[in-house]
Amino acid sequence: MKLFEHQAKELFRDLGIPVPEGKLISQPLDLKSDEIKLPCVVKAQVLQGGRGKAGLIQMAATYEEALQKAQQIFNSKANVSKILIEEALPITQELYLAITVDPVSGQAMIMASSQGGVDIEEIARDHPELIVKEYVDLSLGLFPYQARNVMYQLGLDQPLVKQGVTILTKLYELFRSYEAELVEVNPLVISKDRLVALDGKITLDDNALYRHKRYTLSREYFESDAQYEAALEGIPYLEFDGAIGLMCAGAGLTNTVYDLVHYYGGTVASYLEFGGPNYHKAVKAMQIILKRKPKVILIVTFGTIARADVMAQGVVEAIQQLKPDIPIVTAIRGTGEDEAWNILTQAGLEVVTDTEEAVQKAVQLAGGRTE
Amino acid sequence: MSIILDQTTRILVQGITGSEGRFWTKHMLDYGSKVVAGVTPGKEGETVEGIPVYNSVRRAVDEHTIEASILFVPPRFAKDALFEALSCGIKKVVILCEGIPLHDTLQMRKAAITEQAIVIGANTSGLISTGKAMMGFFPYWIERVYRPGRIGIMTRSGSLTNEITAQVVKAGFGTSTLVGIGGDAVPMSRFAEILPLFEQDPETDAVVIIGELGGTMEEEAAEIIKDGQFTKPAVAFLGGRTAPKGKKMGHAGAIITAGKGTVEDKIKAFTDAGVLVADRPRMVGELLQSVLQPRN
Repeated sequence: MKLFEHQAKELFRDLGIPVPEGKLISQPLDLKSDEIKLPCVVKAQVLQGGRGKAGLIQMAATYEEALQKAQQIFNSKANVSKILIEEALPITQELYLAITVDPVSGQAMIMASSQGGVDIEEIARDHPELIVKEYVDLSLGLFPYQARNVMYQLGLDQPLVKQGVTILTKLYELFRSYEAELVEVNPLVISKDRLVALDGKITLDDNALYRHKRYTLSREYFESDAQYEAALEGIPYLEFDGAIGLMCAGAGLTNTVYDLVHYYGGTVASYLEFGGPNYHKAVKAMQIILKRKPKVILIVTFGTIARADVMAQGVVEAIQQLKPDIPIVTAIRGTGEDEAWNILTQAGLEVVTDTEEAVQKAVQLAGGRTE
Repeated sequence: MSIILDQTTRILVQGITGSEGRFWTKHMLDYGSKVVAGVTPGKEGETVEGIPVYNSVRRAVDEHTIEASILFVPPRFAKDALFEALSCGIKKVVILCEGIPLHDTLQMRKAAITEQAIVIGANTSGLISTGKAMMGFFPYWIERVYRPGRIGIMTRSGSLTNEITAQVVKAGFGTSTLVGIGGDAVPMSRFAEILPLFEQDPETDAVVIIGELGGTMEEEAAEIIKDGQFTKPAVAFLGGRTAPKGKKMGHAGAIITAGKGTVEDKIKAFTDAGVLVADRPRMVGELLQSVLQPRN
């Protein structure tokens, strides 16, 4: 679960990590002229990256301009419900600082760079030598010497090293206490001899949310009703712009079907898994799939615990209840597959047993090659 | 032989009295696995399928020689269960559940390294030495998927494994041991750590690696093959070739971040190391036939 910038900064502020002064608004009227320092930055609170390029971060020199820019962003197609207005700080240098996980060593990994303000991806590509790494054993915690090493390697002056050590120590505290996947400050800026977190990105671990009641899933974290609905059901679901609705089981198989659809020249409308603990949720799954109005539904499974016969029965029930008026291609296999094929045949569905054959059929029904 | 597990491996089942624990203990026994004891706190004295249940792993190892443990516990108790097994000197553990908190998995991985234990999982169907024993849940009764043979398999995905293994069998081969690395962001064992075990196994002629987007496990495997630590033929299939950046594609570990984890990079690493990469599931069998004669 990704937090919004303003939520990340609220956590930073609570811990004493310096952030610019700002005001969060839900409509331009919320902004009073005495509440902002000028010039200011008008920042849309959305979870997607690349806000600057999309025109969702704008500078304003006057109160009136800030209002106008805010209005413009609220009116844009980006579906913005909140805007953060912050003082624009003079900047001497932009740094990068983040904490994430290192799956190889089983430790936390600090990444820092003196070249911040761009994606870490870009830094890694253009200046790999400028990325400083430090690994932290969770059972020992972050040692002060490690934090100092990071800051010295960034080439900071002694007073800034001290500030940097404090900030990194607090970020680590945040990383651990909220069980984050990622805590990122990009950029961390030097402004008038002070380090300030100009942006904040925090991704929490969905698997640990039950231990952190401060944040719960709500509609605002999702781009569509269908995505929110799927998340509440625990159904993995992604949306695309193509023609075929994938209703499959297992991440690896679903990804492979997704690849094969492209291989055979088709396009994907949605990616959905109803395997594992969700194998009895075919009706709900098809309801979600139909929201993207696909031309074809492609169902491919090869389950063990997710019994083929139960899934086939679910699919038949879903068709009876939802009466989709589009073709459905099935390759449902695994435990109980003979029974599954019986059920599907009796319901008038054609039984396909080979994944690639099913994909080819679906692509053809969706209008054939699109390239 | 086979790797990690065979019919003589003495197995403990942690969480044996739950419905899944009971159900799969029966199947593990039916398949030939040597389950000797189970653990569920508060259930000592009961039996499951004739197997005695103890309150703690400590109690179980006092009464039995135990070499391996399989965890049928919910994700929030997985860390505790693994540390309990490790604390009693058990050096082989299989963890099946999906959804263990990320920071827990970090500490578990670190402990597995420190204890020099082979921990498999989580978020996997487990481990099966075909025709001998299994720790996990595999539909071994589907003969077109699970046939004994001489191909080792390592995989990050359960459903895809059935798909690919069916192709291996269709091409006239069978499997020696299948290791479910699992789909988590922090798997307890990595491809590069399992490959040397297959190298040493005289009953494994080649390995099939079923990978996917995200992480660097495939690149690490390619690296040790290049180093000469694995010299047998290897065939790989990778899911997520056309996946978009930044989206979690089902598995926690299946995501392209900071430019790392693309299938393109993985294919390049494998190709450079001499691993044959199958473009589609169907080609896995053909590629195996190009380097080996089917023999069982």
